[in-house]
Amino acid sequence: MKRYVIVWLGLLAIVALEVVLTLAHLRSGVLLAGLLGLAIIEAGLGLMYFMHLRYERRSFTWSLILAVVITVVLMDHFWLDAFRLLHQRLSAP
Amino acid sequence: MAELTVTSEPSPFGVPSRKLGIWMFIVADAATFAAMLFAYGYVRVANPDWTRPFTVWPTIVNGIVMTVVLLTSSLTIIAALLAAQAGRRTTALRWLGATMLLGTLFAALHLREWVAMIGDGWRLFRNPLGGAPLVGATFFSITGLHLLHVITGVIVIGVIALGYRRGRFDPGHLEVTGLYWHFVDLVWMFVFPLVYLLNVR
Repeated sequence: MKRYVIVWLGLLAIVALEVVLTLAHLRSGVLLAGLLGLAIIEAGLGLMYFMHLRYERRSFTWSLILAVVITVVLMDHFWLDAFRLLHQRLSAP
Repeated sequence: MAELTVTSEPSPFGVPSRKLGIWMFIVADAATFAAMLFAYGYVRVANPDWTRPFTVWPTIVNGIVMTVVLLTSSLTIIAALLAAQAGRRTTALRWLGATMLLGTLFAALHLREWVAMIGDGWRLFRNPLGGAPLVGATFFSITGLHLLHVITGVIVIGVIALGYRRGRFDPGHLEVTGLYWHFVDLVWMFVFPLVYLLNVR
């Protein structure tokens, strides 16, 4: 149980760091990168320890992680269109 | 007449079928939440008049409390699983009860926040601050789907706890339920920073 309490404390510390970053009034892009990075670390800790992926077979762990990563990478195609709309609206009279 | 012989092959991933099943569900559900978060990112980028509706007090403070409650519930469900695996049925049931209580508290805090926002004039397609009307649509749809998962999780934990008390379910069932509950927690780890913290005025 001690290991899980340590992970839980680590997750709480990351949440505190996220709030501190938000209150630091960083540029939007920097804040987004920081918050996403911290969320991925949080998710990794949750997956590996709370969800026990660390103790499963590697073939199982990687097949799950790759499925999600490939899906998320494919979704990134939409950004080009989002920026096209942004530029179109900003340049509209 | 030849007799049919059934041979048992080991699982290729070394996990029981029900655990493989919940992981398949988690992967599919993760894709659903990812799609919703991407849709939110898309409309946010495409709308130069995006509104940041939240203030530190009360919204972000409420969000921090909700996050702590949900993270703690992940710890209590692990305590329940460890107790069940050690054969301490009563202790496991108490921890499951604590998890349900924390899940219910999270849902109550969330609904209180929704009621306050609706009172301020926020609707699915109405922005009382005058900016992009899709702010409400993305907020209510993403947090609403997550809230639905939390409420479903509380009910499922209750059903599993009842079955476990009656001896119908074993610690394996608790583990599978725990995986679902941790996933709900994991989704919130993305929702809180991306939907709340990135929208602070």
